[in-house]
Amino acid sequence: MNHSRPLTPPFDAQALEARFALRVTARLSEQAQRQPHAIEERLRFARQQALERARARRRTAPVAATAPSVHAVGSTLALGDGGEPRDGWFQRAVAAALPLVVLLGGLALIHWNHAHAQIEAAAQIDAELLVDDLPPTAYSDPGFFEFLRKQQNP
Amino acid sequence: MASDKELSDFLASVEKRAFKRTAYSVRDEDAALDIVQDAMIRLADKYADRPAAELPLLFQRILSNATMDWFRRRKVRSAVETNFSGFDGAGDEDFDLLELLETQDGSLGAEGADAEASRAQMLQVIEQEVALLPARQREAFLLRYWEELDVAETAAVMGCSEGSVKTHCSRAVHALAKALRAKGIAP
Repeated sequence: MNHSRPLTPPFDAQALEARFALRVTARLSEQAQRQPHAIEERLRFARQQALERARARRRTAPVAATAPSVHAVGSTLALGDGGEPRDGWFQRAVAAALPLVVLLGGLALIHWNHAHAQIEAAAQIDAELLVDDLPPTAYSDPGFFEFLRKQQNP
Repeated sequence: MASDKELSDFLASVEKRAFKRTAYSVRDEDAALDIVQDAMIRLADKYADRPAAELPLLFQRILSNATMDWFRRRKVRSAVETNFSGFDGAGDEDFDLLELLETQDGSLGAEGADAEASRAQMLQVIEQEVALLPARQREAFLLRYWEELDVAETAAVMGCSEGSVKTHCSRAVHALAKALRAKGIAP
């Protein structure tokens, strides 16, 4: 330890450190400029690759942001302008679920139509039985069937 | 949004330092080139729409992460951690640093006929000593003084406190001063 020097305040020590560090990094910069040609070329190639990627990203980003999309509005569908990029996941989810919803709706409609036709047929038979002169119980009487057979084959 | 020219100029300005900084860490030039390329592409792919002013800090973060990814892939984390060992007490080396700086001031501009060869040798030794620093000290030192990030930015890139950055930087400076003085080199 050199006791002949006065103690330096902390800010002086920091200034000295910074001064020394900047000298060292200046030498590092000097050395970094002396790269072999092969390394410089490789770095240039890497930079070109990165720039190509950035250009590709810029080309695709506006299309994704403004592409028309299908919106469900009540029971109808409408085309929208794509909205903000953060809405994209919702629109994609709606578009993906749409065919499934249509299929399920169609099946439900077919089932409802079939059930409705059966109910209508049963109601028509009931109505014809009720308005007929014969009471419904006659159709469960074996004698009545024998009477009908003799009427058809005298 | 950074234009193509801004991005290109930024990458051109930072690529050599990024390569050297990575090469100090991984000690393999081919791997360092791969890591720098990976960092450049990640920056362009994910952050090309950011303002040009944000690129330096983003790039340093990406480069640090890419370097760590490389270490993880190579499964040499344990080897890295041995480099994280602390620096034994700096003691009263402020005075040594001052002496060293004073001798540097006197020696500047004293290059002779074969100065180029000795200068190249000096630069190589400085580079070797920087590469020999413990990893965290080296990273803090290079980010703070070579990449010229402020203390808060350096802490953000390194994922540590500002106090740790100051400690790492101070220890790195004293370690370098001690090592270079032992070899009779004034940077």
